[in-house]
Amino acid sequence: MPKRIVVDPITRIEGHLRVEAEVKNGKIVDAYSSGTMVRGIELILKGRDPRDAWAFTERVCGVCTTVHALASVRTVENALDIKIPPNAELVRNLMFCAQYMQDHVVHFYHLHALDWVDVVSALSADPNKTSAIAQSISDWPRSSPKYFGDVQKRLANFVESGQLGIFANGYWGHPAYKLPPEVNLIGVTHYLEALEWQKEVIKIHTILGGKNPHPNYLVGGAPCSININEANALNMERLAIIHQKLVEAKQFIDEVYIPDLLAIAPYYLDWAGIGGGVSNYLAYGDLPTNGYSDVSSFKLPRGVILNRDLSKVIEIDPTDEEQIKEYIAHSWYDYSDGNKAGKHPWSGETKLNYTGPKPPYEHLNVDSKYSWLKTPRWNNHAMEVGPLSRMLVAYAKGDKDVVGLVDTVLTKLNAPVEALFSTLGRTAARGIESAVIANWALGFYDQLIANIKNGDSRMSNMEKWEPSTWPKEAKGVGLTEAPRGALAHWIVIKDEKIDNYQLVVPTTWNASPRDSEGKRSAYEEALIGTPVADTEQPLEIIRTIHSFDPCLACAVHLYDEKGTYVHNVETF
Amino acid sequence: MTQENNTNTIILGIGNILLGDEGVGCHVINFIENNYIWDGINIVDGGTGGFHLLSYFRDYSKMIIIDATMDGKQVGTVSILEPKYASDFPTALSAHDIGLRDLIETAVLSGGLPKIILITISIEKIQNMVMTLSPEIEKSILNVVKKIEKILKIN
Repeated sequence: MPKRIVVDPITRIEGHLRVEAEVKNGKIVDAYSSGTMVRGIELILKGRDPRDAWAFTERVCGVCTTVHALASVRTVENALDIKIPPNAELVRNLMFCAQYMQDHVVHFYHLHALDWVDVVSALSADPNKTSAIAQSISDWPRSSPKYFGDVQKRLANFVESGQLGIFANGYWGHPAYKLPPEVNLIGVTHYLEALEWQKEVIKIHTILGGKNPHPNYLVGGAPCSININEANALNMERLAIIHQKLVEAKQFIDEVYIPDLLAIAPYYLDWAGIGGGVSNYLAYGDLPTNGYSDVSSFKLPRGVILNRDLSKVIEIDPTDEEQIKEYIAHSWYDYSDGNKAGKHPWSGETKLNYTGPKPPYEHLNVDSKYSWLKTPRWNNHAMEVGPLSRMLVAYAKGDKDVVGLVDTVLTKLNAPVEALFSTLGRTAARGIESAVIANWALGFYDQLIANIKNGDSRMSNMEKWEPSTWPKEAKGVGLTEAPRGALAHWIVIKDEKIDNYQLVVPTTWNASPRDSEGKRSAYEEALIGTPVADTEQPLEIIRTIHSFDPCLACAVHLYDEKGTYVHNVETF
Repeated sequence: MTQENNTNTIILGIGNILLGDEGVGCHVINFIENNYIWDGINIVDGGTGGFHLLSYFRDYSKMIIIDATMDGKQVGTVSILEPKYASDFPTALSAHDIGLRDLIETAVLSGGLPKIILITISIEKIQNMVMTLSPEIEKSILNVVKKIEKILKIN
């Protein structure tokens, strides 16, 4: 009889993802992933003005506050056939890139690194040796023995104060930690530096989106006007700040993030053979350079890879109602045509029906429904989404920036391309993507400056702003790539109002329960075969799940499970 | 009419407006924005901003944070706290993705805190997917604004 262990919550900070895994002879033989909070944003949007939807959807998440707004304005633009001007596309791309750089770095250092870096071990590092290692892997200037010694002292004070705070959840001293103390100290030091760094890069959102968090978006363009001499517009001074932030961001990624990744990975190469998962990868792609309708112009290409076959990228059609469907066989919802049906989001339904155990409970009843996440499928296949999927699709399509960097990283780690299909591969793909994006962002900036110099200050297309210009009924889909994976919003507009609105978010693809045929989704599949040394401290489970960058906040908003759960669910 | 030099002060409302009363901190900011002109005082609707909010802890020497709390007090009670350590902050309500307390701990670790005054509004529960405030909470907004005026010596 396998032992069932429960990890809840599984996100490092806060979250509502629960994993139940069955361990036999030190390895996971089965796993169940459950979202324990319900999302109801679809219900709140019904009947509202489609032009306002972005402002509500971007509030479902505090981590990627901007991506839902982007998907939302795109879905309305798609429904009403609105083309945005080139400058607006560049502004959206720049905000996209800033979000990626900030989010990937925060994920690596603040949400994932401590699965590999032992904070307590860093206290016994030799600052001289640490400095020597740091200087051998990077030109980053903050690398003197004194600098590392000072950080170590600060860390010691923090630990001694007994207020471990954000470090409180680590399994410090676990035998699965393999780094020497000096590399641990480098990791912790850059954890602190990254905190300071991330708040700077995201100021690009404040400049282009008017505020941060939750920057402004606009159906038809971007809500910032270009006037290089006007104090309150996007002027030369503000453009120069953006440029400076982009340059600093690139420097941090190239000189801190990537060298750290390459310094840590060699100690964990066994993780290149663990955590592979479903073997199918989906990316909607993004960063258009010739209008969103020209998919071939995307810097991040769109497509599907099946069975890890990198010789073939299959096209996706999000408007084909046969391709993407959501199932509820193991989710706490009802469909009007039964439990086995799959529904394309345009005809999607959000009818909640909690049938799980009354909390607190020991185990979920995994034979029936066990999650607030629906189960999305592409042509009936379980898909992984996220940086690994995007990098694999770009690699398979031969994007030279991506191919170059992927091959460099694989060569440095002396690993074959198959190593990518793993927990370590997922984490490496995120770093590779950050470096590629940092370069592209500077290109978008140069293009924006060139447009302005050529006298093009158009930022929005307001021809179809007035609802009186809209058709009586329209359908749209807005796609983007959140840092953690493919994100799409589907809308049905009737009589100038939202008639149906459905989100399929990245963590729903990855963290969903089994489908009606019993096939596992990405998290559940990736855990099969994972070794667990100590069932009381299942660090290995956390490593693989964190490698996906889970964000349950948007996947299953929003309910306090400690509250009067069952009762409240019945009331809406 | 004396007014302190408040240019280095920021008023930060946090919460999730999709969760009814839980979002009262943001509603307070909107109310101030629509009804008052306070010279040189910065206000921000921080929403569920998580780490995105860290720069406000660095760029200002004084912060007034407005947040909902489920502390069991009568609904609509407005309380003022002057927390010094991360552990003095109330446990985050679950809907903030990266809670206020996580953020404070992070700020402490990476260089210390500005002077923080925390104004909490007691709510009964988090309502799921409700955009409006309950009447007691709606009424408390003016009370919060009065407390802010007193703190900042705005007459």
